[in-house]
Amino acid sequence: MKRRTLLRWVAAGTAAVPLRPLRLLAQPRELTPEAVSLLHEIAPTVLPSALGRDRTRAVVDRFVVWTRNYEEGVALAHGYGHPRLQKSGPTPARRYIEQLAALDREARGRGARWSALDREQQRAILDAAFAEAGVRNLPPRPAGQHVVADLMALYFRSSDANDDCYRAQIGRETCRAIPVTLRKPDPLER
Amino acid sequence: MATHETDVLVIGGGITSAMLAQKLSELRPNAHITVVEAGRSIFDVQNRGRYRQRALDYGEHPWRDDYIEDQQADGIISMTMAVGGLALHWGGACNRFSEEDLRLKSLYGLAADWPIEWTELERYYCEAERRLNVAGEPSPHVEDRRSQPYPQQPIPLSYNLQVLKRWAEQSGIRFVGLPMARNLTPHDGRGACCVYDTCGEVCPTGARYSPDFTFRQLAQPKKIALHDRTLVRRLVLDGRRDLVVAAQGFHQDRPDDPIDYRAKTFVIASGYCWSSHLLLLSANDRFPNGLANRSGLVGRYMNGHRFINATAAIDEQTFPGQNMTHSLISREFFRCRPDGPFVRHDTRVWESSSGRDPRLRSAEGKLLLGDEVMVDWRARAKGSAVRLRAYVDVHPSADSRLTLNAAKKNRYGDPMPRIEHRFDAPTIAREAATSEHVLGVFNRLARASNGRIVNTSQGDYLDHPGGGCRMGSDPAASVCDSYGRTHDHENLFVVGAPTTPTGGCTNGTLTFVALTLRSAEQIASGVGARG
Repeated sequence: MKRRTLLRWVAAGTAAVPLRPLRLLAQPRELTPEAVSLLHEIAPTVLPSALGRDRTRAVVDRFVVWTRNYEEGVALAHGYGHPRLQKSGPTPARRYIEQLAALDREARGRGARWSALDREQQRAILDAAFAEAGVRNLPPRPAGQHVVADLMALYFRSSDANDDCYRAQIGRETCRAIPVTLRKPDPLER
Repeated sequence: MATHETDVLVIGGGITSAMLAQKLSELRPNAHITVVEAGRSIFDVQNRGRYRQRALDYGEHPWRDDYIEDQQADGIISMTMAVGGLALHWGGACNRFSEEDLRLKSLYGLAADWPIEWTELERYYCEAERRLNVAGEPSPHVEDRRSQPYPQQPIPLSYNLQVLKRWAEQSGIRFVGLPMARNLTPHDGRGACCVYDTCGEVCPTGARYSPDFTFRQLAQPKKIALHDRTLVRRLVLDGRRDLVVAAQGFHQDRPDDPIDYRAKTFVIASGYCWSSHLLLLSANDRFPNGLANRSGLVGRYMNGHRFINATAAIDEQTFPGQNMTHSLISREFFRCRPDGPFVRHDTRVWESSSGRDPRLRSAEGKLLLGDEVMVDWRARAKGSAVRLRAYVDVHPSADSRLTLNAAKKNRYGDPMPRIEHRFDAPTIAREAATSEHVLGVFNRLARASNGRIVNTSQGDYLDHPGGGCRMGSDPAASVCDSYGRTHDHENLFVVGAPTTPTGGCTNGTLTFVALTLRSAEQIASGVGARG
């Protein structure tokens, strides 16, 4: 085969690559700077004020990393008793970006940025957004249904939040020596 | 066709296979032992911390590719098919059955006796506990006496379990910490427990025993040959005698190139599902209903135990998350009077956060935000939730079956198994009374500390399943003898869970291992040293 023929074949092959993979390649795999900025603005509404500015920012940063490190098509826990194979779906990044933009539009439709709305206005917007996304309960972990519910899940389902709730150093998901667990957990110092 | 010759061929790579291979390699160090497993080896303990974290963060299965998509059964309790088997993700509970389990017919006129004496089985329980390095506290009941101490001290009770033990024992029912195959200090190439609390998924340190460690220890110095990703599809008989001469399998990467395993002794250690399945698939002209199946009982008397759950609420404060995978156990109801109603069950108590987790909406349905979520959570976190569970002794009928499902086939065209559990008539007749008794026990426990039962439920599958190749001394009423040697084929053994006539009323794995270790001596006695 002549080199030119080969190049023509390669060119034709490239043109014939189905659009779907290309679209997938174009899917955002992480939150845009604008989306992250909006999430930082919304976070103090939905996370406890006791976290303070730094811990609240850290929760959002962890959520950004969570989104970035999401893997598609990975087998999820099969379960025991009635096992079934389920795989992780597409990255929720695009949906998250759209949902954050929608929250921003809703806020501006009421004449202000998110942070300038009062608590009941924020609640009404989120209530409607959760209903539209089908979020009824706090997910056990971020699940891709709604970005704000998932941000809340990331914190409230965490070992840190468990410690905050009980005001005790339980460290549910941390590596601990067994003797640490034998006494009443020490009070939380934060 | 490739041919592989060996002295002993062990089919299946789960916990009983690991224990069998280990013991055979000790008893017959010069014998050729080959283990064939359909799934892959996952020997990457260094990655387990990362897998655990992704399981927590994303809900991912921590044992990547531990299943074969077209090799699945209806009615099976786990999809896992890999070197290590279901014990890759077991909790590590190591309870013994009791003597009553072996004497149901003679004591109560129910089900069947096991063809083995308790005192003999007890010796193998000790050996199983030693090999699995069980940490345990002896039962307070004299009937549960042991001939040897546990190899490790008990797992110390967390503060939460100390609170719950005081609470539970106000009922007059005695509890101990659950015996578990969990290293308190580094042992046998595995780390110490760091209370990761993910025993049932993955243990990053390897403190909780899992068979992949044993297989690696055996395979790397070539004490055994381990052929993973190789599915044995059928056993082949000698032309005239009823001896198995070969097992035919395929490596996943070479589906057109069968492998003929030739051995003197064949051992099926494929668990409660795939053991019967292989025998049924191996039907031939002389055994049209499957190998080892002159009795017609292969795939029958599939067993396990029912379970009843409850959540209690008590006033005493605990701190969920201290050691959620450890629990208390009572053996108070392991035995009942022969002249009274038959009801046997274990009783387990765990710390829990059930009903006290953070939520998005108040009881009135109002969306909670920020501080409101925490305030609501803290209000509901006062006092404690307690998880209760009883494994109940139920007995299978002959119609409790594993059958071949012609509508579901693997890539080779083999019908996959379908398991449907059925109870015998006495079990069905006493079902309501059993539930009433167990709920009565839960209510008795709950009374202290202003306790009350807030919800109950019943499991909709049988846990720790076994059966399908039940042992017995009568070849017309059983598939194999007490050592797992099939009545129909002198050189074919089945070990572990499939051989149990009944499923007991507590976790079965230790019993499956103990029976297998006993079988190992019989199997070894027929294996000469290789010259």
